[in-house]
Amino acid sequence: MLNVEQVRKTFGTVTVLDGVNLAVKPGEVVSILGSSGSGKSTLIRCINGLERLDGGRITVDDFDVSKPRELAEARKRSGTVFQLFNLYPHMTALQNITLAPIEVLKRSRAEAEDEGRALLASVGLGDRAEAYPAQLSGGQRQRVGICRALAMRPRYLLLDEVTSALDPEMTSEVLDILAKLASGGTTMLFVTHEIEFARQISDRVVFLEKGVLLVDLPTRDFFAAGGGLAQPRVAQFLSKMRKD
Amino acid sequence: MRFDLTVLVPHLGFLAEGALLTALVCGLALVGGVILGMVVAIARTSSNRVVNRIAAAYVDLFRNIPFIVQLFFFYYGLPEIGIFIDAFTTGVVALSIAGGAYASDAIRAGILAIDTGILEAAEVSGLSRRTIFRRIVLPIALRTSVRPLGSVLINMILTSSVLSTITLNELTGQAKIVASDTFRPFEVYFVLLVVYAALTYLVSLGIALLHRRLNRDLSEPVG
Repeated sequence: MLNVEQVRKTFGTVTVLDGVNLAVKPGEVVSILGSSGSGKSTLIRCINGLERLDGGRITVDDFDVSKPRELAEARKRSGTVFQLFNLYPHMTALQNITLAPIEVLKRSRAEAEDEGRALLASVGLGDRAEAYPAQLSGGQRQRVGICRALAMRPRYLLLDEVTSALDPEMTSEVLDILAKLASGGTTMLFVTHEIEFARQISDRVVFLEKGVLLVDLPTRDFFAAGGGLAQPRVAQFLSKMRKD
Repeated sequence: MRFDLTVLVPHLGFLAEGALLTALVCGLALVGGVILGMVVAIARTSSNRVVNRIAAAYVDLFRNIPFIVQLFFFYYGLPEIGIFIDAFTTGVVALSIAGGAYASDAIRAGILAIDTGILEAAEVSGLSRRTIFRRIVLPIALRTSVRPLGSVLINMILTSSVLSTITLNELTGQAKIVASDTFRPFEVYFVLLVVYAALTYLVSLGIALLHRRLNRDLSEPVG
């Protein structure tokens, strides 16, 4: 269970997260929608310990991310995929994937590489294991990014606008993989602007507005007239996003 | 005046000794300077205030004093308070310390230029700070700092000629002796400048190779 309780985060005088509550059960796919600056990415960054909380509590399988001793355990349980990929530029695709399994999980190199190659093959990059990030397209880089996160066998996959830096064609190649993962039972917390896709793969959709979690509903209810759409802000957001 | 290099033939062995000593001192000092540079660069990018200040003070101090003054202080000054260090050791250490101050700046710039997103990715994957530094920060920093670092190293080789002033008869020291023995300063110093140019050229060649290797992902064709 991934638990976010009454989380508050401020940057100077700006309150970015204002008492957010969210629970993600194993096997669930939860999408986080909201306009830019609503606090979506900050929430992800709080969960993986990149930002310090100003209030509330976040636990990943009962490990409190605010406690330095427990953060390491919490981080082993979650994997993050970033908007801008953040691959290690001096390492090949395979080395990007095997670094943490070898160093953190103390797996043998051979074992980590076998698994890394299998992961790359599963996202259609079996022949690019020895390529460096600079030699890959954006979509390919993000697929490597997903493999890097999966190589740690995380219980929760945190996806922070992973297709926002990609063109439509590359976006679809990445979304195809996420759809496969979702149907395979991977737990995901998915920050996105891809509303239709979120609708297809999520069990639940939450809507953030100015740091407040306005709506948290099962996907079908979220898009129903009497559910999420009853909220004027949500209806406004959805109609605007669909026009774009 | 006739330009006649043959007058130097009897002195070639003597000059070669000096060249060898220069190569040895520089080799050791380059290694020392780079190691010191790395340590200081780490210290200067550390979040620990005290460590940071000490490192900054070291860099400021040694960059703002002429090398020859540092050298005289170590070699002629320290014995006054009972610290005797032989000329060779003094030369290597002084050159390392002075070079390390400049090297640390080059490496520090490389560290600061690293995209923070990359470091965050490493952090959330659970890697220890040590591992992140060794496997991610340093290799990426060196990619960008290897060229400026090369200029620092070349400068160290050139600066080593000053070591003749503390009785260390490296290449320049030997050349001075030969020049006064033969009364042919033109030929002697002509050879000297060719040898220094060759020595530094070798180093810049090595740096270029290293730069290519560290940035091989950017030079190899896509495919």
